[in-house]
Amino acid sequence: MLIRLTGGEIIDPVNGASGRRDLWFEDGFIIDKPEGRRADKTHDLSGCIVMAGAIDIHSHIGGGNVNTARLLLPEHHAAHLPRPAATPLSNAGWSTFTTGCLYAQMGFTTVVEPAMSPYNALHTHLELSDIPIIDKATLTILGNDDFLLSLIRDKSSTDMVDDYVAWTLASTNSLGVKVINAGAAAAFKENVRSFSFDDVVPAYGVSSRGIVKTLQASVNRLGVPHPLHVHANNLGLAGSADTASVTIDAAEGVPLHLAHLQFYGYGTEGKRKFSSEAARLAEQVNNNPDVTIDVGQVMFGQTVTVSSDVTRQFLAIGNADPKKTVIIDGDGNGGGIVPYRYRKNYYGSLQWAVGLELFLLIDDPWRVFFTTDHPNGAPFTAYPDLFELLMSREARDAKSAELNAAALELTTLASIRREYTLEEIAIMTRAAPARLLGLKDRGHLGPGAIADIAVYRRGSDIAGMFREAALVFKNGDLVVENGKVVHFRWGKALRLKPTPDKAMVRRMQAYHEERYGLSLDWFTFPDSAIERDEPFAEVSCKS
Amino acid sequence: MSVAWVGSQAVFLSDAIQHAAKLLASSRCPVISFDADVHGTRSVIALAEKLGAAYDHIRGRELLNEVALFTSHGGMFTTPGEVRRRADLIILVGDLPASHHELILSWASAQPDLAGKQSRRWFHLEGGEAVSGGKDAEGELSRQVKAVILSAEAASLGTAVALLRAELAGRRTATPITNLDSLKKALAEADFPVFVFSGNTEEPTSLAMLQGLVADLNRSKRASSLFLPSDDAAWGAVLTSVWMTGFPPRTGFPNGAPVYDPERWDIQRMLRDKEADLHLWISPGDEIPAKQGRIPLVALAHTASPVAGAAVTISIAAPGIDHDCVAYSSRTGTFRATRASAPSDRPAIAGIVRQLAQALPSGEAESC
Repeated sequence: MLIRLTGGEIIDPVNGASGRRDLWFEDGFIIDKPEGRRADKTHDLSGCIVMAGAIDIHSHIGGGNVNTARLLLPEHHAAHLPRPAATPLSNAGWSTFTTGCLYAQMGFTTVVEPAMSPYNALHTHLELSDIPIIDKATLTILGNDDFLLSLIRDKSSTDMVDDYVAWTLASTNSLGVKVINAGAAAAFKENVRSFSFDDVVPAYGVSSRGIVKTLQASVNRLGVPHPLHVHANNLGLAGSADTASVTIDAAEGVPLHLAHLQFYGYGTEGKRKFSSEAARLAEQVNNNPDVTIDVGQVMFGQTVTVSSDVTRQFLAIGNADPKKTVIIDGDGNGGGIVPYRYRKNYYGSLQWAVGLELFLLIDDPWRVFFTTDHPNGAPFTAYPDLFELLMSREARDAKSAELNAAALELTTLASIRREYTLEEIAIMTRAAPARLLGLKDRGHLGPGAIADIAVYRRGSDIAGMFREAALVFKNGDLVVENGKVVHFRWGKALRLKPTPDKAMVRRMQAYHEERYGLSLDWFTFPDSAIERDEPFAEVSCKS
Repeated sequence: MSVAWVGSQAVFLSDAIQHAAKLLASSRCPVISFDADVHGTRSVIALAEKLGAAYDHIRGRELLNEVALFTSHGGMFTTPGEVRRRADLIILVGDLPASHHELILSWASAQPDLAGKQSRRWFHLEGGEAVSGGKDAEGELSRQVKAVILSAEAASLGTAVALLRAELAGRRTATPITNLDSLKKALAEADFPVFVFSGNTEEPTSLAMLQGLVADLNRSKRASSLFLPSDDAAWGAVLTSVWMTGFPPRTGFPNGAPVYDPERWDIQRMLRDKEADLHLWISPGDEIPAKQGRIPLVALAHTASPVAGAAVTISIAAPGIDHDCVAYSSRTGTFRATRASAPSDRPAIAGIVRQLAQALPSGEAESC
């Protein structure tokens, strides 16, 4: 079916200036205006803005830890269901079905689950396959696993490391590699309770820095489009800005992505020894063009923190609200589920301001990404409110007036006049994520792109505009109208598919048989295990 | 060979599906008991939503305490792989299902290669009747792994766990625990002790008490626990239900949205109290469902003959035997894709249930 969108203001930074022009698509792809043909269907989008479907690079939407959070907190889900508008942050228990619907209603069409434990890959993909409408992708966690730490300890060749990373990417069907508090989960099993960038995992004699640098180099050599995705050490602690700073310095000219930088934006100034270092970190990011970051913005209210950073989560048990937690010493990873309520007190206010400072002080929207680290800083349904805070100084000032003044005085937020433009929003939520992930077929509205399109009714209520898209097309199918899902479809999981080295496959077979007493097929799975038509789509590595 | 019956009359599968769909569609309060692999579970929950039905696993009673440990308490857990490779001290807690004994014995024959000492010690905490007497499989398990027995005279398992926690926390107790000093010494020397437990249907608080004990130990040292579900397939159904609806089984869709209530949606209670007016039973196991009073029964069972008293019987395949499947496994602590061991043409649960859903009068697409 040939579709024409007319009368809308196209905001597509990749393909030229914003302006009113027609957009055509057919068979799921955007095309040039076809000469001599009439559209089978025309949508008049006067008064609307048109963007590519949004892409979320870091949102915990599925997998073992997320599901454990659901199981731990049925009361949150129960509270949310009958009155979702009244409990926007009490929804960590969202089902896979609701997750897809809510993302689509906001105009998001691709979401990355950024923390998949390799041995949990089948579980994660089963969940993702039950999330309707949107496409998904995963980042596989490495950096606390015995095999890699042993390779580094034994000074194995870079080829060997690359073969292992490639095998892991292929066997877990993922789009990239993430490292979470490198080495800390392994060290925690040896009762190490704090772990910084140059600390060493006792059993291996390998430093956190060494693990990060090994993986960063391997990801780069393999041509994985997305740079190594780093969850740094000391998340959430006063003084963690120093950790973030040395991690950024360690990029050393090679691409590196630092996740949820807000949670590292803290200094030790002030009466409470908890202050903002966001301006310093923003300047450092500005001066390191190879570094990208996502923010992990904190909003307010009830949520649940879900993280494979078991060391940090164990330390946070005392802050649990309600008082129930799960801590997991996993295979080569860890995990922790700690419910938490962000309050408008000194600490919550400072965290909120640090996130906004980072958004507003990092100059290049191509290098700062829009996340709340769902559900850690806030559920993804808080995004529309966050768009408004970024686009309106007035909205920020109004919100600031509700918050702890002493905390805000230790930040630069009040002095920042910047307001994001729609073009910058489109870059940060569409064009830049596509480029960062190597997804050439989306994030823009040029011919050849898949027809993932979000249409919003322009209005003064910015949050309202982004909360309920007027229309959303996924692969050309109209899936949302007036903020409501009107058509269900199943998306795909995007994956790299490097061909694993045969010697590495044999080595992994021997490793699993010897160490786990099980054949390798206990830990891998065929595509058919997902039981959906074409559950995966391939993304190319860089040549 | 017939695969479908209406009453005791063999019929075409399509006719049985149509007949069952009519019964489901005309039901005021249908309930579903099931036991299925992941894809079967997905189809069952989708059907329940479409019908506005309640569902529970056929071993829902045993699941109650295991689910409640997570929904009410949480805890500290590890994986079977970490137990095998890292645990230098294993404490078995109470009776563990025989289906897990092979796994436990496999640890005894493997060195913990990630532990500093590369050796491990074993203890077994008993409740009630002593397992060391050797009259059952549990006693045999203890002997095979050379476990030191911990027991408190006449104390139930829950009481024994509470006594042990108190003793390890330095509090005095009235009832002594055998070999306690030996355990204290072993704990002091261990780097990564793990308590291995399963659901205890008689004393739900014992699971929370055990987690309290593990938390106490972690104040200064490391320790964890390994949860071995009473039934792997049932636990897989819990996890699948949680991601699909946000809730574990004993969930219903009274108004379209899922509602979790372990008492309200106790299927056996609903049948007993005649709240339900149709029972859809789905299980590839050996257990044959019993018709409850006058409530119609639709049985999807691994059977070569009609189920006695069932209005409709459809023969279904056994996952992992008749067809490839995905199911939870305690060998890895997660899901595993398994090849069929004896492929057959019997229809898979998921396929039959989807056909049932499609045969319902409402033509709406399944929403999950």
